[in-house]
Amino acid sequence: MFILHPVMLVISFVCAGVYAFLLRGVRVLMRGLVLLLPMMLVAAAMNPLFNHRGVTILTYLPNGNPVTLEAVLYGLAVAGMLATVITWFVAVNAVMTADKIVFLFGRFWPALSLLLSMSLRFVPRMIRQGRVIVVAQKGLGRKPNALKVISILMTWALENSIETANSMTARGYGLRRRTAFHLYKFHRRDVFALGWMITMALVVGVGVALGVNRYRFFPSVQFHALSGASVIVFVSYFALGAVPIILRAKEVLVWKRINSAM
Amino acid sequence: MKFNRVWISLVMLATIVLTIFAGIYFLDDRRFFVISLLILMQIFIPFAFLYESRKPPARELVMIAVLVAIAVAGRAAFFMLPQFKPVVAVVIISGVALGGEIGFMVGAMTILVSNIFFGQGPWTPWQMLAMGLIGLLAGALFHHRNKSISRVVLAIFGALVTVVVYGGIMNSAGVLMFQPQPTRDMFLFSFMYGLPFDIVHGVATAVFILLMARPILEKIDRIQTKYGDFRRNS
Repeated sequence: MFILHPVMLVISFVCAGVYAFLLRGVRVLMRGLVLLLPMMLVAAAMNPLFNHRGVTILTYLPNGNPVTLEAVLYGLAVAGMLATVITWFVAVNAVMTADKIVFLFGRFWPALSLLLSMSLRFVPRMIRQGRVIVVAQKGLGRKPNALKVISILMTWALENSIETANSMTARGYGLRRRTAFHLYKFHRRDVFALGWMITMALVVGVGVALGVNRYRFFPSVQFHALSGASVIVFVSYFALGAVPIILRAKEVLVWKRINSAM
Repeated sequence: MKFNRVWISLVMLATIVLTIFAGIYFLDDRRFFVISLLILMQIFIPFAFLYESRKPPARELVMIAVLVAIAVAGRAAFFMLPQFKPVVAVVIISGVALGGEIGFMVGAMTILVSNIFFGQGPWTPWQMLAMGLIGLLAGALFHHRNKSISRVVLAIFGALVTVVVYGGIMNSAGVLMFQPQPTRDMFLFSFMYGLPFDIVHGVATAVFILLMARPILEKIDRIQTKYGDFRRNS
């Protein structure tokens, strides 16, 4: 999220965009980006307005501060970064289903992950019970308002919670060595994928730390010419960002092949 | 237990201070985003382990889950009105009724759960912190006298805390997340830009507290009387 090199931004944005498109289709992706458009504009505009460093002065603000070309470019890079992050999160929201979050939490924090999964379960239950209450109130000839419904719902939910808790205790909640159900196993291919990602991330990290692809905005835009090292960093960055796309594409192909074989 | 808690808080504080100094000296005081993320992790992780080590009783977990679900369902019910949400009100009432720690849990968990429905983003940890702090504050200030607290005081507290704590943290987070080189003016601008939204949010919170505080506090109180306080006999 803090690499502002334009080439790196484009690589990351393309990877995120393709992946989010594969997962959610073009409409969800566009909606996410359009919703965030005002935020991107503000982020882009903030820089030229408040950042007066840079040598190429374009014009002056009413208060006498200069607007510089460098700050405008910097603002654009920031907006690009924002778009990239949002696109990645469109994908994250599709991939990170609740059961995965609960599983990840459950290793270290069993009580918290139980709390999370219970809360998730209760939300649809509350909404459904809310509808039941509205119907019941109407059947009694009353006109239920939202607060009345919430109040009734609350009583029902709290009373119900006692029953749930008693049932949990009766079934051995809090005893040691209880495990949570999950379908995840660490296979050899996972080792390979993890090793691949760590290696690529390390290459990129070392490259960034050494500054082989430095891109300086202030006081004047300056960047290193394309060198062997910087190409390696770009390729590794792409190899890292493309991992989810490759995995997803493989799954889709396998699925299609199995379907057509049947 | 008491000792344990003090200990962990001290270690937490020390690592945070160390992180800030490391940021100033080794990263040239320029990597605000990395540092702020590290600090967030240093707040959440000890808190999570502290909570686990207490082995919370089943009744407490279910109670928190119910409050979280009410808050999330409330956010869903009012989704067509931006910023006009009962979430802060529910979190504050939970803190007042059940204490700061549970208030923090309800706040942070509500954000995590509702973002699973409405979409996660880089802002999730900041929202969790802000909402958790609001629950913690409400519990610390009002829990010990929750029988006598007036709705108006709570409503004013709610409005203030929504604008200052939630708005303050989220407006700063916006700058920290997306401006690698923040300046003071950017923070000021962000506060100005966010203020109208925060005020609507604060007013909504006050309204919801005025309408809901009494019945919800009574209900939680009633359940604790009827079945026994879960913090005393689990």
